[in-house]
Amino acid sequence: MSVERLLATNGLIKEAPTAEAILSRADYVDPSPIKLFYGETYDDKGHTIDSLKYYLFVSNLAESLKKVGRLTDPTILIADTAACRNVGPENQNYYMVLGEERSNFVKKVNEIYKTGLHVVKMSEYINSQDFVNEREKIMAQCRTNSSLMEAVKRTVPESKVEIEDKKGFMYSFDEITTIIDLDVKVGPPREDLYDNVARSIAEKAGKKQVMSLFLTPSFPIGMNWSYFFANEGIEDHGITAYKAGSKRLQGNRVIIEKSNSDYVRELINKSFISPNRALPNPVLDIGIICEMAKNRLEGNENPITLADDFYEGRISEKKLKEKVGADVEQYILSKF
Amino acid sequence: MWNNTFYQNFKMKEQLSINEITKKDYGEKIAKRDKEAIYYVEKAEKLGLKSTKRFTEYHPNPSKSMLTGVTFAHRDLESVVQSMADNQPWAVVSGLNPSGPLHFGHKQVFEEVLWMQKQGAEVFIPVTNDESYVVGKVKSLSESRKIAYEKVIPSIIAMGFAPEKTHIFVDSDYPDLYNLAIDISKHLTLNKVYKVFGFGQDEEGENPGTIFYRGGVQLAQILLPQYEEFGGKKPSIIPVGIDQYPYILLARDAALRRDFIPPAATFIRFEGGLDGKGKMSASRPDSAIFLTDNQEGIKRKIRSAYTGGSPSGAFQKEHGGVPEICPIYQLRAYHFPNNSELKDQCSTGKILCGECKKQATEEVSVYVSEHQAKLPEARAKMDEFILKKPIKSILTD
Repeated sequence: MSVERLLATNGLIKEAPTAEAILSRADYVDPSPIKLFYGETYDDKGHTIDSLKYYLFVSNLAESLKKVGRLTDPTILIADTAACRNVGPENQNYYMVLGEERSNFVKKVNEIYKTGLHVVKMSEYINSQDFVNEREKIMAQCRTNSSLMEAVKRTVPESKVEIEDKKGFMYSFDEITTIIDLDVKVGPPREDLYDNVARSIAEKAGKKQVMSLFLTPSFPIGMNWSYFFANEGIEDHGITAYKAGSKRLQGNRVIIEKSNSDYVRELINKSFISPNRALPNPVLDIGIICEMAKNRLEGNENPITLADDFYEGRISEKKLKEKVGADVEQYILSKF
Repeated sequence: MWNNTFYQNFKMKEQLSINEITKKDYGEKIAKRDKEAIYYVEKAEKLGLKSTKRFTEYHPNPSKSMLTGVTFAHRDLESVVQSMADNQPWAVVSGLNPSGPLHFGHKQVFEEVLWMQKQGAEVFIPVTNDESYVVGKVKSLSESRKIAYEKVIPSIIAMGFAPEKTHIFVDSDYPDLYNLAIDISKHLTLNKVYKVFGFGQDEEGENPGTIFYRGGVQLAQILLPQYEEFGGKKPSIIPVGIDQYPYILLARDAALRRDFIPPAATFIRFEGGLDGKGKMSASRPDSAIFLTDNQEGIKRKIRSAYTGGSPSGAFQKEHGGVPEICPIYQLRAYHFPNNSELKDQCSTGKILCGECKKQATEEVSVYVSEHQAKLPEARAKMDEFILKKPIKSILTD
């Protein structure tokens, strides 16, 4: 599939650079491969189908670029060190083990779907001299520039600014240092804050700037209209894709290696769906992930038109739910 | 020759004068439209209310009132929606003054209440004959009581409410309410009631009955569904006009002090009076079409109604009317769903006021006569709707 066609997949892409911009970047960094990246933390509730969306997409983007002769380095970062920063000292070891499990999960995805993703853990590089030096440089640059420092502060939720201030905003600086040298960073829309700081720093240093590519937000399944109505702003940010326990809604997520397919089907049947494209559609979202998984398993490159089929009335709500309920078992849950 | 020229000049002057009047009238109506368009938006913003647009996007079957923007804002609708969606208990309270029969303004509100009942709400309708009396809308308690039973309650029932989920009460015939009013008034201060309602501005204007009504009885009506006898604490909602926001604030405050759930509110635009002066009101009989009006009365009121049209048919054909400020347009667009094209037809001059009024007369007449035909049955069923349940929980330990 061409990069252009891939980026035109409705229901999957929230915001993306043009195909031309990505191809130009690949040419610019040549003979080095273009760095395609998705990074995530995790919790102890399991691996979500929403993480799989990002793995499959990064892999698809790499495939599309390879087809037109570009070298690629599709990488999935498991931010184990960052995940540990948010838990108490008594849970550090446990979370490092969970990080290893998440990393193994991505490797399993590679085996099942032939995704060819490079898996990296943050703990593997965070204490390296190169990374520490780079982070020091970035921290110094930000601390002498009030607008940059303000932008760093904005990466932290307002309620946590004071706590992070005491920690020297290390979480943010680790993230910024990690992404500053990337070419295309795939992620959920809420990561824009980090990406903007990284771009500002790179711009001031006269370096290439990371391009952000946002996929559509993730939503819980099995929730009726009232949940979405009462959660203003959910349309823009959804819930955290890679944490099954985001908002304590683990019972409303598809958790690979854990969720029972009958239970998932029941949740899908109960899910809110609207014919309005601007509103969340958790079932369609899972349907698109299933289509990506199916394409990988069957080795084809069919464009994914599920969103258009639904919104243009070629598939009814009932049919969509039936299809997605069956596909999630056939192309995802049964494969693990 | 001289006479002919004089006559032509005279006709030209007269024509000019008509054109000027027409243009001035049109300009004034456009200005009125623009002013009214921002009135509710600004008011809602100032009071920190949220638009109902989000609700209409998410609810699978929103009410006509919300879809047409008649219900335009809300306070804390979020507290009700989960019960609404999960079929859990919730209530709606919507009362009215029985100083006259129901008119189309009431119909608009009670259709919204009926929609809420269809979404699962238990409906409480206080018919506030005590308020009618203390604020001077009727001469005696008995007068408003009579209107309540003879004209108001049968009309409400005839709109299609389900008896098992509807509780109608005339305040003075449900004295337990006054015990609740005492219970609730204990949690308020006169100072707070004064501040919210602006009492004390005119020392001769208020009587103690009004103050007790606002600071006790009104709140008792709003919080009634949350008393033990009605299943206890539950989400509730009050559809009101934006001028009634103070009641909502006071009720929310009283609810918290009584360990109840603060009631939510939806805010409804007033139905425009046919005389073009504010809302439909029983105190200006020609401003409203009552559900008890006869065919001749309906015809007369609509024929003489203010409109968004122009004094000159030719001008209106060219420039169109101003439907947004036209009570006939409001009447037809809201109450009669087949009129979805009317706004375009009016504003492009495709329909003029004469024809529109004729169609309105037909629509209103049919509705009113059908409604009146249902009244005998409604009267016969009245007993099934009247709330009699005693409230003892506050009188026993």
